[in-house]
Amino acid sequence: MSREALRGLLGGALLVLLWEGVACGFALPSYTLPAVSEILASIWVQRANLITGGATTLLEALAGYAFGTAIGITLATVIIVLPWSRSAILPVVMAVNSVPVAAYSPLVLLWFGIGVSSKIALVTLAVGFTVFLSALAGFDRVDRRSVDLLRSFGAGQASVLWRLRLPAALPLIAAGMRVATVRSLIVAIVTEMLGAQSGLGWIIYQAVVGIDFVGVWSAIFVASALSLAFFGVIGWIERKVIFWR
Amino acid sequence: MTETPTETARLLELRGIDKTFGTVQAVRGLTLSVPAGEFVTVVGPSGCGKSTLFNMVAGLDEPDPGGVLRFKGRSCHAHELLGRVSFMPQRDLLLPWRNVIDNAIIANEIEGADRKTARARALRMLPEFGLTGFEAQYPHQLSGGMRQRVALMRTFMFERELMLLDEPFGALDALTRSMMQRWLLDVWERHRRTVLFITHDVDEAIFLGDRVLVMTARPGSVKLARPVDLPRPRSAELVTSPEFIAIKREILAAIEEESMKSFMATGMRAA
Repeated sequence: MSREALRGLLGGALLVLLWEGVACGFALPSYTLPAVSEILASIWVQRANLITGGATTLLEALAGYAFGTAIGITLATVIIVLPWSRSAILPVVMAVNSVPVAAYSPLVLLWFGIGVSSKIALVTLAVGFTVFLSALAGFDRVDRRSVDLLRSFGAGQASVLWRLRLPAALPLIAAGMRVATVRSLIVAIVTEMLGAQSGLGWIIYQAVVGIDFVGVWSAIFVASALSLAFFGVIGWIERKVIFWR
Repeated sequence: MTETPTETARLLELRGIDKTFGTVQAVRGLTLSVPAGEFVTVVGPSGCGKSTLFNMVAGLDEPDPGGVLRFKGRSCHAHELLGRVSFMPQRDLLLPWRNVIDNAIIANEIEGADRKTARARALRMLPEFGLTGFEAQYPHQLSGGMRQRVALMRTFMFERELMLLDEPFGALDALTRSMMQRWLLDVWERHRRTVLFITHDVDEAIFLGDRVLVMTARPGSVKLARPVDLPRPRSAELVTSPEFIAIKREILAAIEEESMKSFMATGMRAA
Protein backbone atom coordinates (compact mmCIF):
# COMPACT_ATOMS: atom_id res chain seq x y z
CA MET A 1 0.00 0.00 0.00
CA SER A 2 1.33 3.41 -0.89
CA ARG A 3 2.27 5.93 1.79
CA GLU A 4 -0.51 8.22 0.60
CA ALA A 5 -3.18 5.54 0.97
CA LEU A 6 -1.79 4.74 4.42
CA ARG A 7 -2.07 8.39 5.48
CA GLY A 8 -5.63 8.51 4.18
CA LEU A 9 -6.53 5.47 6.20
CA LEU A 10 -4.88 6.94 9.26
CA GLY A 11 -6.87 10.18 8.83
CA GLY A 12 -10.10 8.23 8.56
CA ALA A 13 -9.31 6.18 11.65
CA LEU A 14 -8.53 9.35 13.64
CA LEU A 15 -11.84 10.89 12.62
CA VAL A 16 -13.75 7.78 13.69
CA LEU A 17 -11.93 7.70 17.05
CA LEU A 18 -12.60 11.39 17.67
CA TRP A 19 -16.24 10.97 16.69
CA GLU A 20 -16.64 7.94 18.92
CA GLY A 21 -14.90 9.74 21.79
CA VAL A 22 -17.04 12.87 21.51
CA ALA A 23 -20.31 10.94 21.14
CA CYS A 24 -19.64 8.62 24.09
CA GLY A 25 -17.59 10.98 26.25
CA PHE A 26 -20.23 13.73 26.28
CA ALA A 27 -23.02 11.13 26.26
CA LEU A 28 -24.68 12.93 23.35
CA PRO A 29 -28.21 11.78 22.54
CA SER A 30 -28.36 9.90 19.26
CA TYR A 31 -30.53 12.54 17.55
CA THR A 32 -27.61 14.97 17.96
CA LEU A 33 -24.74 12.64 17.11
CA PRO A 34 -24.88 8.87 17.48
CA ALA A 35 -21.64 6.98 18.08
CA VAL A 36 -19.99 5.35 15.07
CA SER A 37 -20.33 1.93 16.71
CA GLU A 38 -24.05 2.52 17.08
CA ILE A 39 -24.35 3.46 13.37
CA LEU A 40 -22.38 0.43 12.23
CA ALA A 41 -24.53 -1.84 14.35
CA SER A 42 -27.65 -0.30 12.85
CA ILE A 43 -26.26 -0.79 9.32
CA TRP A 44 -25.80 -4.47 10.12
CA VAL A 45 -29.33 -4.82 11.48
CA GLN A 46 -30.88 -3.00 8.52
CA ARG A 47 -28.58 -4.53 5.94
CA ALA A 48 -31.30 -6.07 3.78
CA ASN A 49 -33.14 -2.77 3.52
CA LEU A 50 -29.94 -0.79 2.89
CA ILE A 51 -28.74 -3.19 0.20
CA THR A 52 -32.02 -2.90 -1.74
CA GLY A 53 -32.06 0.89 -1.32
CA GLY A 54 -28.39 1.19 -2.22
CA ALA A 55 -28.90 -0.95 -5.32
CA THR A 56 -31.75 1.27 -6.49
CA THR A 57 -29.73 4.46 -5.95
CA LEU A 58 -26.66 3.00 -7.60
CA LEU A 59 -28.71 1.86 -10.60
CA GLU A 60 -30.19 5.34 -11.02
CA ALA A 61 -26.82 6.99 -10.64
CA LEU A 62 -25.07 4.63 -13.07
CA ALA A 63 -27.77 4.81 -15.73
CA GLY A 64 -27.94 8.60 -15.52
CA TYR A 65 -24.15 8.74 -15.51
CA ALA A 66 -23.95 6.69 -18.71
CA PHE A 67 -26.62 8.75 -20.49
CA GLY A 68 -25.23 12.05 -19.23
CA THR A 69 -21.69 11.24 -20.27
CA ALA A 70 -22.80 10.15 -23.75
CA ILE A 71 -24.99 13.22 -24.24
CA GLY A 72 -22.36 15.63 -22.86
CA ILE A 73 -19.61 14.37 -25.15
CA THR A 74 -21.95 14.21 -28.15
CA LEU A 75 -23.16 17.77 -27.64
CA ALA A 76 -19.61 19.09 -27.31
CA THR A 77 -18.68 17.19 -30.48
CA VAL A 78 -21.59 18.77 -32.36
CA ILE A 79 -20.36 22.23 -31.38
CA ILE A 80 -16.87 21.42 -32.63
CA VAL A 81 -18.05 19.90 -35.92
CA LEU A 82 -20.60 22.66 -36.57
CA PRO A 83 -18.97 25.81 -35.16
CA TRP A 84 -22.03 27.96 -35.87
CA SER A 85 -24.09 25.84 -33.47
CA ARG A 86 -21.96 27.03 -30.53
CA SER A 87 -23.77 30.34 -30.19
CA ALA A 88 -27.10 28.53 -30.43
CA ILE A 89 -26.40 25.73 -27.95
CA LEU A 90 -24.17 27.33 -25.34
CA PRO A 91 -26.56 30.06 -24.06
CA VAL A 92 -29.39 27.54 -23.68
CA VAL A 93 -27.17 25.10 -21.81
CA MET A 94 -25.89 27.87 -19.55
CA ALA A 95 -29.40 29.10 -18.81
CA VAL A 96 -30.58 25.63 -17.81
CA ASN A 97 -27.42 25.03 -15.81
CA SER A 98 -27.64 28.29 -13.87
CA VAL A 99 -30.40 26.79 -11.69
CA PRO A 100 -29.57 23.97 -9.23
CA VAL A 101 -30.73 20.64 -10.59
CA ALA A 102 -32.84 20.08 -7.43
CA ALA A 103 -35.03 23.00 -8.48
CA TYR A 104 -36.24 21.01 -11.48
CA SER A 105 -37.04 17.98 -9.33
CA PRO A 106 -40.75 18.67 -8.72
CA LEU A 107 -41.31 19.12 -12.45
CA VAL A 108 -39.38 16.04 -13.39
CA LEU A 109 -41.24 14.02 -10.77
CA LEU A 110 -44.45 15.26 -12.33
CA TRP A 111 -43.34 14.29 -15.84
CA PHE A 112 -41.58 11.00 -15.15
CA GLY A 113 -43.39 9.81 -12.01
CA ILE A 114 -41.83 8.84 -8.68
CA GLY A 115 -40.12 5.69 -10.03
CA VAL A 116 -36.49 5.37 -11.07
CA SER A 117 -36.93 7.15 -14.42
CA SER A 118 -37.31 10.62 -12.84
CA LYS A 119 -34.06 10.07 -10.90
CA ILE A 120 -32.26 8.87 -14.00
CA ALA A 121 -33.47 11.93 -15.91
CA LEU A 122 -32.13 14.36 -13.32
CA VAL A 123 -28.82 12.54 -12.92
CA THR A 124 -28.48 12.61 -16.71
CA LEU A 125 -29.02 16.37 -16.64
CA ALA A 126 -26.48 16.97 -13.87
CA VAL A 127 -23.82 14.65 -15.26
CA GLY A 128 -24.47 15.87 -18.80
CA PHE A 129 -23.60 19.49 -17.88
CA THR A 130 -20.43 18.58 -16.07
CA VAL A 131 -19.15 16.34 -18.84
CA PHE A 132 -20.30 18.69 -21.61
CA LEU A 133 -18.44 21.68 -20.18
CA SER A 134 -15.24 19.75 -19.56
CA ALA A 135 -15.39 18.07 -22.99
CA LEU A 136 -15.87 21.44 -24.69
CA ALA A 137 -12.95 22.92 -22.74
CA GLY A 138 -10.88 19.87 -23.75
CA PHE A 139 -11.75 20.20 -27.43
CA ASP A 140 -11.03 23.93 -27.39
CA ARG A 141 -7.61 23.40 -25.84
CA VAL A 142 -6.33 21.33 -28.77
CA ASP A 143 -3.19 22.83 -30.31
CA ARG A 144 -4.05 24.70 -33.49
CA ARG A 145 -0.68 23.74 -34.98
CA SER A 146 -1.43 20.05 -34.53
CA VAL A 147 -4.74 20.53 -36.35
CA ASP A 148 -2.85 22.29 -39.16
CA LEU A 149 -0.32 19.49 -39.36
CA LEU A 150 -3.02 16.85 -39.83
CA ARG A 151 -4.80 19.07 -42.35
CA SER A 152 -1.55 19.37 -44.31
CA PHE A 153 -1.57 15.59 -44.53
CA GLY A 154 -4.99 15.87 -46.14
CA ALA A 155 -7.07 15.05 -43.06
CA GLY A 156 -10.75 16.05 -43.12
CA GLN A 157 -12.86 17.13 -40.12
CA ALA A 158 -13.82 13.63 -39.07
CA SER A 159 -10.24 12.44 -39.22
CA VAL A 160 -8.98 15.38 -37.18
CA LEU A 161 -11.73 14.78 -34.64
CA TRP A 162 -11.01 11.09 -34.27
CA ARG A 163 -7.23 11.14 -34.43
CA LEU A 164 -6.53 14.39 -32.61
CA ARG A 165 -9.33 16.26 -30.88
CA LEU A 166 -10.92 13.36 -29.05
CA PRO A 167 -7.74 11.87 -27.59
CA ALA A 168 -6.35 15.34 -26.82
CA ALA A 169 -9.54 16.26 -24.95
CA LEU A 170 -9.58 12.98 -23.05
CA PRO A 171 -7.71 14.21 -19.93
CA LEU A 172 -10.25 17.00 -19.39
CA ILE A 173 -13.21 14.79 -20.28
CA ALA A 174 -11.98 12.26 -17.74
CA ALA A 175 -11.57 14.95 -15.07
CA GLY A 176 -15.18 16.00 -15.68
CA MET A 177 -16.32 12.39 -15.52
CA ARG A 178 -14.53 11.94 -12.19
CA VAL A 179 -16.27 14.95 -10.67
CA ALA A 180 -19.56 13.74 -12.12
CA THR A 181 -19.40 10.42 -10.21
CA VAL A 182 -20.08 12.12 -6.90
CA ARG A 183 -22.64 14.48 -8.44
CA SER A 184 -24.58 11.54 -9.87
CA LEU A 185 -25.10 9.95 -6.44
CA ILE A 186 -25.91 13.25 -4.76
CA VAL A 187 -28.58 14.09 -7.34
CA ALA A 188 -30.07 10.58 -7.19
CA ILE A 189 -30.35 10.74 -3.38
CA VAL A 190 -31.71 14.28 -3.23
CA THR A 191 -34.37 13.46 -5.81
CA GLU A 192 -35.33 10.31 -3.94
CA MET A 193 -35.89 12.38 -0.82
CA LEU A 194 -38.49 14.40 -2.71
CA GLY A 195 -40.49 11.34 -3.71
CA ALA A 196 -39.58 7.75 -4.49
CA GLN A 197 -40.53 4.13 -3.96
CA SER A 198 -37.09 2.99 -2.80
CA GLY A 199 -33.46 4.11 -2.62
CA LEU A 200 -31.09 5.56 -0.02
CA GLY A 201 -32.68 9.01 -0.26
CA TRP A 202 -36.06 7.49 0.41
CA ILE A 203 -34.65 5.60 3.41
CA ILE A 204 -33.22 8.86 4.75
CA TYR A 205 -36.54 10.62 4.29
CA GLN A 206 -38.49 7.88 6.05
CA ALA A 207 -35.96 7.73 8.89
CA VAL A 208 -36.27 11.50 9.39
CA VAL A 209 -40.04 11.25 9.52
CA GLY A 210 -39.72 8.36 11.99
CA ILE A 211 -37.24 10.43 14.07
CA ASP A 212 -34.70 7.61 13.61
CA PHE A 213 -31.45 9.53 13.32
CA VAL A 214 -29.28 6.47 13.62
CA GLY A 215 -31.13 5.24 10.52
CA VAL A 216 -30.36 8.53 8.71
CA TRP A 217 -26.69 8.14 9.52
CA SER A 218 -26.70 4.51 8.38
CA ALA A 219 -27.99 5.51 4.96
CA ILE A 220 -25.49 8.39 4.78
CA PHE A 221 -22.65 5.99 5.54
CA VAL A 222 -23.74 3.61 2.80
CA ALA A 223 -24.17 6.48 0.32
CA SER A 224 -20.75 7.83 1.16
CA ALA A 225 -19.15 4.40 0.70
CA LEU A 226 -20.83 3.96 -2.71
CA SER A 227 -19.76 7.42 -3.77
CA LEU A 228 -16.13 6.83 -2.78
CA ALA A 229 -16.07 3.47 -4.55
CA PHE A 230 -17.53 4.93 -7.76
CA PHE A 231 -15.06 7.81 -7.66
CA GLY A 232 -12.23 5.37 -7.08
CA VAL A 233 -13.19 3.08 -9.96
CA ILE A 234 -13.49 5.94 -12.47
CA GLY A 235 -10.22 7.43 -11.22
CA TRP A 236 -8.50 4.09 -11.67
CA ILE A 237 -9.85 3.68 -15.22
CA GLU A 238 -8.74 7.23 -15.98
CA ARG A 239 -5.17 6.50 -14.93
CA LYS A 240 -5.14 3.33 -17.06
CA VAL A 241 -6.57 4.94 -20.20
CA ILE A 242 -4.69 8.25 -20.07
CA PHE A 243 -1.26 6.76 -19.56
CA TRP A 244 0.66 9.55 -21.26
CA ARG A 245 0.10 12.23 -18.60
CA MET B 1 2.28 17.70 -73.87
CA THR B 2 3.79 20.93 -75.06
CA GLU B 3 5.45 21.96 -71.83
CA THR B 4 9.13 22.72 -72.14
CA PRO B 5 11.49 20.75 -69.94
CA THR B 6 12.31 23.75 -67.78
CA GLU B 7 8.66 24.17 -66.90
CA THR B 8 8.11 20.57 -65.86
CA ALA B 9 11.36 20.56 -63.93
CA ARG B 10 10.12 23.48 -61.86
CA LEU B 11 8.21 21.77 -59.09
CA LEU B 12 7.05 24.87 -57.27
CA GLU B 13 6.73 28.40 -58.47
CA LEU B 14 5.49 31.52 -56.70
CA ARG B 15 5.19 34.83 -58.50
CA GLY B 16 4.10 38.13 -56.99
CA ILE B 17 2.51 36.52 -53.92
CA ASP B 18 1.08 38.82 -51.22
CA LYS B 19 -0.37 37.81 -47.87
CA THR B 20 -2.05 40.15 -45.43
CA PHE B 21 -3.33 39.34 -41.95
CA GLY B 22 -5.71 42.10 -40.89
CA THR B 23 -3.62 45.25 -41.21
CA VAL B 24 -0.26 43.48 -41.28
CA GLN B 25 1.27 42.59 -44.60
CA ALA B 26 3.38 39.52 -43.91
CA VAL B 27 4.56 38.86 -47.44
CA ARG B 28 4.73 41.18 -50.47
CA GLY B 29 5.61 40.35 -54.02
CA LEU B 30 7.17 37.04 -53.08
CA THR B 31 8.68 35.32 -56.08
CA LEU B 32 10.60 32.08 -56.01
CA SER B 33 10.85 28.84 -57.92
CA VAL B 34 12.13 25.46 -56.85
CA PRO B 35 13.32 22.92 -59.42
CA ALA B 36 12.61 19.27 -58.69
CA GLY B 37 15.27 17.60 -56.56
CA GLU B 38 16.77 20.82 -55.22
CA PHE B 39 17.50 21.52 -51.55
CA VAL B 40 16.58 25.15 -50.96
CA THR B 41 17.20 26.80 -47.61
CA VAL B 42 15.47 29.99 -46.48
CA VAL B 43 16.98 32.41 -43.96
CA GLY B 44 15.88 35.83 -42.80
CA PRO B 45 15.28 38.04 -39.76
CA SER B 46 12.63 36.84 -37.32
CA GLY B 47 9.08 37.73 -38.27
CA CYS B 48 9.99 38.05 -41.95
CA GLY B 49 7.16 35.85 -43.18
CA LYS B 50 9.07 32.59 -43.56
CA SER B 51 6.38 30.64 -41.76
CA THR B 52 3.70 32.46 -43.76
CA LEU B 53 5.41 31.24 -46.90
CA PHE B 54 5.35 27.69 -45.57
CA ASN B 55 1.74 27.82 -44.47
CA MET B 56 0.76 28.90 -47.97
CA VAL B 57 2.80 26.21 -49.70
CA ALA B 58 1.45 23.59 -47.26
CA GLY B 59 -2.05 24.66 -48.30
CA LEU B 60 -3.06 25.98 -44.86
CA ASP B 61 -3.28 29.67 -45.78
CA GLU B 62 -4.59 31.13 -49.03
CA PRO B 63 -2.45 33.97 -50.45
CA ASP B 64 -4.14 37.28 -51.29
CA PRO B 65 -5.68 37.21 -54.76
CA GLY B 66 -3.48 38.38 -57.59
CA GLY B 67 -0.34 36.29 -57.29
CA VAL B 68 0.57 33.14 -59.16
CA LEU B 69 1.05 29.84 -57.40
CA ARG B 70 2.11 26.92 -59.56
CA PHE B 71 2.76 23.35 -58.49
CA LYS B 72 4.06 20.74 -60.93
CA GLY B 73 3.61 23.24 -63.74
CA ARG B 74 -0.05 23.86 -62.98
CA SER B 75 -1.58 26.98 -61.53
CA CYS B 76 -3.55 26.19 -58.37
CA HIS B 77 -5.13 27.45 -55.15
CA ALA B 78 -3.20 26.92 -51.96
CA HIS B 79 -5.85 24.63 -50.47
CA GLU B 80 -5.39 22.25 -53.38
CA LEU B 81 -1.93 21.58 -51.95
CA LEU B 82 -3.37 20.03 -48.77
CA GLY B 83 -2.23 16.43 -48.71
CA ARG B 84 0.21 16.95 -51.59
CA VAL B 85 3.18 18.40 -49.75
CA SER B 86 4.86 16.88 -46.75
CA PHE B 87 5.12 19.50 -44.06
CA MET B 88 7.14 19.46 -40.88
CA PRO B 89 6.39 22.35 -38.52
CA GLN B 90 8.81 23.86 -36.01
CA ARG B 91 7.69 21.80 -33.05
CA ASP B 92 7.64 18.03 -33.43
CA LEU B 93 3.92 17.90 -32.54
CA LEU B 94 4.08 14.17 -31.86
CA LEU B 95 0.86 12.81 -30.44
CA PRO B 96 1.56 11.72 -26.84
CA TRP B 97 -0.88 8.80 -26.99
CA ARG B 98 0.80 7.22 -30.01
CA ASN B 99 4.07 5.33 -29.85
CA VAL B 100 6.97 5.97 -32.21
CA ILE B 101 5.68 3.75 -35.01
CA ASP B 102 2.12 5.02 -34.86
CA ASN B 103 3.32 8.62 -34.83
CA ALA B 104 5.46 7.93 -37.88
CA ILE B 105 2.60 6.45 -39.90
CA ILE B 106 -0.12 8.98 -39.05
CA ALA B 107 0.05 10.71 -42.43
CA ASN B 108 -0.18 7.37 -44.23
CA GLU B 109 -3.08 6.40 -42.02
CA ILE B 110 -4.86 9.63 -42.95
CA GLU B 111 -4.43 8.99 -46.66
CA GLY B 112 -6.06 5.60 -46.13
CA ALA B 113 -3.04 3.31 -46.31
CA ASP B 114 -3.28 -0.09 -44.70
CA ARG B 115 -2.03 0.27 -41.14
CA LYS B 116 -0.23 -3.04 -41.06
CA THR B 117 1.73 -2.37 -44.25
CA ALA B 118 2.57 1.15 -43.13
CA ARG B 119 3.78 -0.12 -39.75
CA ALA B 120 5.96 -2.73 -41.44
CA ARG B 121 7.47 -0.08 -43.71
CA ALA B 122 8.09 2.25 -40.77
CA LEU B 123 9.74 -0.59 -38.88
CA ARG B 124 12.16 -1.07 -41.75
CA MET B 125 12.96 2.66 -41.77
CA LEU B 126 13.73 2.86 -38.04
CA PRO B 127 17.49 2.09 -38.32
CA GLU B 128 17.96 4.83 -40.88
CA PHE B 129 16.47 7.32 -38.42
CA GLY B 130 18.49 6.00 -35.49
CA LEU B 131 15.40 4.74 -33.72
CA THR B 132 16.01 0.99 -33.73
CA GLY B 133 14.42 -0.61 -30.69
CA PHE B 134 12.36 2.47 -29.87
CA GLU B 135 9.29 1.55 -31.93
CA ALA B 136 7.07 0.96 -28.91
CA GLN B 137 8.25 3.98 -26.89
CA TYR B 138 6.01 6.98 -26.33
CA PRO B 139 7.10 10.58 -27.03
CA HIS B 140 7.48 11.47 -23.34
CA GLN B 141 10.10 8.73 -23.05
CA LEU B 142 12.29 10.19 -25.83
CA SER B 143 14.97 12.90 -25.90
CA GLY B 144 14.49 16.07 -27.95
CA GLY B 145 16.76 14.82 -30.76
CA MET B 146 14.89 11.55 -30.98
CA ARG B 147 11.50 13.23 -31.02
CA GLN B 148 12.72 15.39 -33.88
CA ARG B 149 13.87 12.29 -35.76
CA VAL B 150 10.46 10.70 -35.30
CA ALA B 151 8.88 13.87 -36.71
CA LEU B 152 11.27 13.75 -39.67
CA MET B 153 10.47 10.10 -40.20
CA ARG B 154 6.79 10.98 -40.26
CA THR B 155 7.60 13.60 -42.91
CA PHE B 156 9.60 11.12 -44.99
CA MET B 157 6.96 8.41 -44.64
CA PHE B 158 4.47 10.78 -46.27
CA GLU B 159 6.04 10.42 -49.67
CA ARG B 160 5.55 13.64 -51.57
CA GLU B 161 7.87 15.31 -54.04
CA LEU B 162 8.06 18.48 -51.99
CA MET B 163 9.13 18.52 -48.34
CA LEU B 164 8.75 21.62 -46.18
CA LEU B 165 10.95 21.64 -43.11
CA ASP B 166 10.42 24.58 -40.74
CA GLU B 167 13.45 24.94 -38.46
CA PRO B 168 13.48 21.25 -37.64
CA PHE B 169 16.66 21.50 -35.56
CA GLY B 170 15.97 24.88 -33.98
CA ALA B 171 15.36 23.51 -30.49
CA LEU B 172 18.40 21.20 -30.39
CA ASP B 173 21.80 21.87 -28.83
CA ALA B 174 24.69 22.70 -31.17
CA LEU B 175 26.30 19.24 -31.13
CA THR B 176 23.12 17.29 -31.74
CA ARG B 177 22.20 19.80 -34.38
CA SER B 178 25.35 19.39 -36.48
CA MET B 179 25.01 15.62 -36.20
CA MET B 180 21.41 15.84 -37.35
CA GLN B 181 22.39 18.06 -40.30
CA ARG B 182 24.89 15.54 -41.63
CA TRP B 183 22.43 12.77 -41.02
CA LEU B 184 19.67 14.66 -42.87
CA LEU B 185 21.94 15.18 -45.90
CA ASP B 186 22.72 11.49 -45.84
CA VAL B 187 19.05 10.54 -45.83
CA TRP B 188 18.22 13.18 -48.42
CA GLU B 189 20.91 11.96 -50.81
CA ARG B 190 19.31 8.53 -50.73
CA HIS B 191 15.68 9.68 -51.08
CA ARG B 192 16.26 12.76 -53.26
CA ARG B 193 13.15 14.76 -52.56
CA THR B 194 12.78 18.44 -53.21
CA VAL B 195 13.26 20.28 -49.94
CA LEU B 196 12.37 23.75 -48.76
CA PHE B 197 14.08 24.28 -45.42
CA ILE B 198 13.66 27.26 -43.07
CA THR B 199 16.37 28.08 -40.58
CA HIS B 200 17.75 30.90 -38.45
CA ASP B 201 21.24 29.51 -38.71
CA VAL B 202 23.32 30.74 -41.66
CA ASP B 203 25.87 27.93 -41.34
CA GLU B 204 23.06 25.41 -41.46
CA ALA B 205 21.52 27.10 -44.50
CA ILE B 206 24.80 26.98 -46.48
CA PHE B 207 25.83 23.54 -45.27
CA LEU B 208 22.57 21.93 -46.33
CA GLY B 209 21.39 23.93 -49.32
CA ASP B 210 21.91 23.89 -53.06
CA ARG B 211 20.67 27.44 -52.89
CA VAL B 212 20.12 29.87 -50.02
CA LEU B 213 17.26 32.35 -50.15
CA VAL B 214 17.62 35.40 -47.92
CA MET B 215 14.32 37.06 -47.09
CA THR B 216 13.76 40.75 -46.46
CA ALA B 217 12.27 42.16 -43.28
CA ARG B 218 8.47 42.30 -43.18
CA PRO B 219 6.73 42.42 -45.58
CA GLY B 220 8.79 39.46 -46.68
CA SER B 221 10.12 38.80 -50.15
CA VAL B 222 13.28 37.23 -51.52
CA LYS B 223 16.22 39.62 -51.16
CA LEU B 224 18.98 37.34 -52.35
CA ALA B 225 19.13 33.92 -53.97
CA ARG B 226 22.65 32.58 -53.56
CA PRO B 227 23.60 29.26 -55.18
CA VAL B 228 25.87 27.12 -53.02
CA ASP B 229 28.27 25.49 -55.44
CA LEU B 230 30.01 23.34 -52.88
CA PRO B 231 30.54 19.67 -53.72
CA ARG B 232 28.47 16.92 -52.17
CA PRO B 233 28.64 14.81 -50.08
CA ARG B 234 29.54 17.49 -47.57
CA SER B 235 31.50 16.84 -44.42
CA ALA B 236 31.75 18.78 -41.18
CA GLU B 237 35.11 20.41 -42.13
CA LEU B 238 33.39 22.22 -44.99
CA VAL B 239 32.19 25.01 -42.70
CA THR B 240 35.76 26.28 -42.24
CA SER B 241 36.75 26.25 -45.91
CA PRO B 242 37.38 29.62 -47.65
CA GLU B 243 34.60 29.01 -50.19
CA PHE B 244 32.11 28.43 -47.38
CA ILE B 245 33.29 31.54 -45.53
CA ALA B 246 32.95 33.65 -48.67
CA ILE B 247 29.34 32.61 -49.16
CA LYS B 248 28.65 33.11 -45.48
CA ARG B 249 30.06 36.65 -45.57
CA GLU B 250 27.83 37.55 -48.48
CA ILE B 251 24.70 36.12 -46.84
CA LEU B 252 25.42 37.61 -43.44
CA ALA B 253 25.79 41.06 -45.01
CA ALA B 254 22.37 40.72 -46.64
CA ILE B 255 20.74 39.50 -43.41
CA GLU B 256 22.45 42.20 -41.35
CA GLU B 257 20.97 44.88 -43.58
CA GLU B 258 17.47 43.43 -43.21
CA SER B 259 17.79 42.82 -39.46
CA MET B 260 18.75 46.45 -38.97
CA LYS B 261 15.69 47.52 -40.95
CA SER B 262 13.31 45.42 -38.90
CA PHE B 263 15.08 46.36 -35.66
CA MET B 264 14.77 50.07 -36.47
CA ALA B 265 11.13 49.62 -37.39
CA THR B 266 10.21 47.84 -34.15
CA GLY B 267 12.43 50.18 -32.11
CA MET B 268 10.62 53.14 -33.60
CA ARG B 269 7.22 51.62 -32.84
CA ALA B 270 8.26 50.91 -29.26
CA ALA B 271 9.41 54.51 -28.82
